[in-house]
Amino acid sequence: MTIQTEPTAPAASDRLGGSRIIAVLRLNFVNRFAVLGLPWMILGFIFVVNLAIWWIIFSSVSDPADRADVSEGLQYSGASFYIFVYMAVVGVQAIAMTFPFALGYSVTRRDFWLGTALTFVVLSALYSAGMTLLAAIEVWTNGWGFGGRMFTALYFGGTEAPWFERFFLFFAAFLFFFFVGAAIAAIYQRWRVNGMVVFTAVLTLALVAVVGVITLSNSWPAVGEWFAVNGPAGVVAWSLLPTAVSALAGFLLLRRATPKT
Amino acid sequence: MSAVVEVSHLTKNFRSVTAVDDVSFTVEENMIYGLLGRNGAGKTTLMQLLTGQDFATRGDIRVFGENPVENAPVLQLVSFIKESQKYPDDFKPKHVLKSAPWFFPFWDADFAERLIDDFRLPLNRRIKKLSRGQLSSIGVIVGLASRAPLTFFDEPYLGLDAVARQIFYDRLLEDYGEHPRTVILSTHLIDEVSNLLEHVLVIDEGKIIVDQDADTLRGSATTVVGTRTAVDAFVADREVLHRDYVGGLASVTVGRLGQAERLEAADAGLELSPVSLQQLIVRKTNVSQKEFEQSA
Amino acid sequence: MDDSRPIFVQIAELIENDIIGGALPEETQVPSTNDFAAFHRINPATAGKGVNLLVDEGILYKKRGIGMFVAEGARSRLVAKRRDQFQNEYVRPLVTEAGKLGITETQLVEMIREEGAE
Repeated sequence: MTIQTEPTAPAASDRLGGSRIIAVLRLNFVNRFAVLGLPWMILGFIFVVNLAIWWIIFSSVSDPADRADVSEGLQYSGASFYIFVYMAVVGVQAIAMTFPFALGYSVTRRDFWLGTALTFVVLSALYSAGMTLLAAIEVWTNGWGFGGRMFTALYFGGTEAPWFERFFLFFAAFLFFFFVGAAIAAIYQRWRVNGMVVFTAVLTLALVAVVGVITLSNSWPAVGEWFAVNGPAGVVAWSLLPTAVSALAGFLLLRRATPKT
Repeated sequence: MSAVVEVSHLTKNFRSVTAVDDVSFTVEENMIYGLLGRNGAGKTTLMQLLTGQDFATRGDIRVFGENPVENAPVLQLVSFIKESQKYPDDFKPKHVLKSAPWFFPFWDADFAERLIDDFRLPLNRRIKKLSRGQLSSIGVIVGLASRAPLTFFDEPYLGLDAVARQIFYDRLLEDYGEHPRTVILSTHLIDEVSNLLEHVLVIDEGKIIVDQDADTLRGSATTVVGTRTAVDAFVADREVLHRDYVGGLASVTVGRLGQAERLEAADAGLELSPVSLQQLIVRKTNVSQKEFEQSA
Repeated sequence: MDDSRPIFVQIAELIENDIIGGALPEETQVPSTNDFAAFHRINPATAGKGVNLLVDEGILYKKRGIGMFVAEGARSRLVAKRRDQFQNEYVRPLVTEAGKLGITETQLVEMIREEGAE
């Protein structure tokens, strides 16, 4: 045979521009609409519905004092909570669907996890920046003209928080939902249904135990005080701990996971 | 020639099931291999192990001289196209073909374009809405255009019609001629691919039962047909792969026959006919199936 | 590509047929191994083996960097080879069988002539 053998092995690393971690990051963004378009559209829709509600309330309440009361009440709005749930789902899907796909592209589990973690950080930063901006507009327009509160709800630091505190609150919250979603999906990738059953059982038992201990030791006031003392920023800062644990656990789980056919 | 894959004493257990059982073989560079066997014989598991997607219970795997598990420099030389490949739900074929070049250093975009035309793949339809054949064609396109030095095709063409399969064979041969690489093709359509293969590995019950040059294998069996007594007398002291009896007639498959033996058969009034690769493998896997049942 | 002989032998024979039939005149280039492989849908290595078989026999020769060419005198040598084969594979069994049946040489020649006349 006259076929020449190509010295392939050494050449390949030179030919691949950038690292495989960046490639995974780009892969997570390849369907832009799903990660960057749809969430904002849904958030926008929720915002419009809220705007309508605020307008109705605003129109029916004319006394300025009553209006201030309403605005006070709206600070407990959970309208923007949906976006965090959406991101938890994005975290789940990254592991449930993109992971088996990426392995089909001969990506290592390590590169996949690092690239996906990077994706979570980038997405968190993007969405936090957007929501911080919206919060600023909400403050500036005095609740979009109707005293509405969607991005300056109490747990986002209220109307008084400086922009960087708000950004941090959003950012840490996004990271929490991404990584916890991904870690739970990783349990499924690693141990399938059995893993989920055990995980759910353990989680339920742990929660019951915590509630039981707090109740029996009459510590609920102390818990409330802890939340009050730490404030939203403090509480969210503590969330970085489970986030970090999830990130590490997700990696350890995926490292031994095989996408089943 | 150098070995691209070296496997020694590889075993994979799933709980009580042994999917791959103490297997050893090597794969030489720039050849087209057929990995053949029945469903559930262990083909997919073996390829999952070779590509680092699954973990060996025992034994050693070397791909380009290294363990492939979590080995990025090795894995980026490997493309593994499987029938069961999952795609993210919201993906369209364009997303797959846009992202593939980021992962395969030898990707040829022009070739990919041509293949998309050849297979008439709709790029903008949701993957969930594609037909089985269109789904398979995505894999085939990625597998060919990635031009990975080691390419695995695991039953790549479920749902592809005969025309599309022929396009796949033609493009594979053309491109392989210009860009030699190691290809491992796993399929049950053995007759269709038999002329494409240079080397054949047959796996049955987790064991490699044939590891042979395809040309040698093709001539390695003959079917002898004639009256029962004449056939029985002729095959008496030969290794018999398969027997069929209809009334007084017999059709028996034996190993390779030399020129003298062929003349002897002709003199005995027996008819000889060649055995296709597919028939041969069916016969061989049947034999070990029986042996397996007896030993169980 | 369907009888029991190895594919590379069949490929070599196909090229021989083209040389004998005049489709591939002497000193012309023969299609590349890859062309043969694509045309017959066989592995290029197998096609290469067939081509090499003819190179070994001096029917084809290699011009470095260009490709394979039909050697001078290839056709006459192939015809001679085929005649030998014809003698061995057809004429000899014919004569043997004729002897068994008690057909004389004259009768045999007469029978062949009759076939030729038709």
